[in-house]
Amino acid sequence: MLAIAAAACSHSHSSRTAPDRNGRTVVTLLPDPDSGAVGAASVSNAAGSVELTRARASTTINGNAAPTPVKTLSESETRQLFNAAFSMLPMAPQHFTLHFQFNSDELTSESRALLPQVLNAAKGRPIPEVLIIGHTDRVGSATTNIALGLRRAGMIRKQLIDIGLDSSLVEVVSHGEADLLVKTADEVPEPLNRRVEITVR
Amino acid sequence: MAHHLRLIIGVLALTLLATAPAFAQQPASAGRIKVVSGTVYLVRAGAQTTAQAGQVVYQADVLRTGSDGRIGVTLKDDTRVSLGPASEVHLDRFSYSPAEGQLALALKVVRGVVAYVSGRIAKLAPDSVHIETPTAILGVRGTTLAVRVDGV
Repeated sequence: MLAIAAAACSHSHSSRTAPDRNGRTVVTLLPDPDSGAVGAASVSNAAGSVELTRARASTTINGNAAPTPVKTLSESETRQLFNAAFSMLPMAPQHFTLHFQFNSDELTSESRALLPQVLNAAKGRPIPEVLIIGHTDRVGSATTNIALGLRRAGMIRKQLIDIGLDSSLVEVVSHGEADLLVKTADEVPEPLNRRVEITVR
Repeated sequence: MAHHLRLIIGVLALTLLATAPAFAQQPASAGRIKVVSGTVYLVRAGAQTTAQAGQVVYQADVLRTGSDGRIGVTLKDDTRVSLGPASEVHLDRFSYSPAEGQLALALKVVRGVVAYVSGRIAKLAPDSVHIETPTAILGVRGTTLAVRVDGV
């Protein structure tokens, strides 16, 4: 287990004097930096395939050989190998979901109260961007719902600019009925799907 | 009235998009450089320029760092990618239009050390995310990966 990590660590030094034509790839699955959730990944080539499913599960591919059996790296090995990149991850995007009053273009009072928070989130970032995405339920055609989502997103854009958001930071799009919060059959009214999502990056 | 006007403008914009694929092919931005440190380059259509925080990145762009360089990028679907020193990553494909069913992310890690935190594309269509290195192909089912490619 340690041999692989050690080989990977020492490799960057040895490669300068004796370049390995085939190269070496190390892939490690990590917990999400914000939520701590661990996903999964597959690593494959013509010679074989492995699945990474645990925190710090790691495999190495030497040249064209198959990925080595999965090993779990220690936290310090992980840091040593990857911190140079990891430390430069941008801030996690922040998400806000706004809902409308029943059969209305008016935001619920809870959602209206989120607008100043969106403004503050944008102000707290070095290179802020605000993406406003309109969503609809599945009542009506996919095409009209794209237009409807765009209109709702545009209304929220105006409200944010009215309270002081720099309009040059804002982008408005519609996902129509293609990205449902609650999965439904076509033509099913679903208030939770009529929403505007805001991402502050 | 204002509502109707906006609706008409929205529909017009969509009609333009739908009927003019030549315009749609004009590259949409894929994301933005959020943090840089040391020597970092953006290579676009073969031309290498110094990369700066705030700059927009597009599909087909290449991020390259010098021996003291590091860079962090956030893509439009919330994917985050960062590179340590002496690294190179190609943003081969990026498409994030769920309404049109177009979801794709392809990254090539040519060398160096790279961190990747998945975004909405991996959530909506995990099979649409491809990360490759010179000797391996990675399939991503969400969250976070680190990749290191040495000796190339």
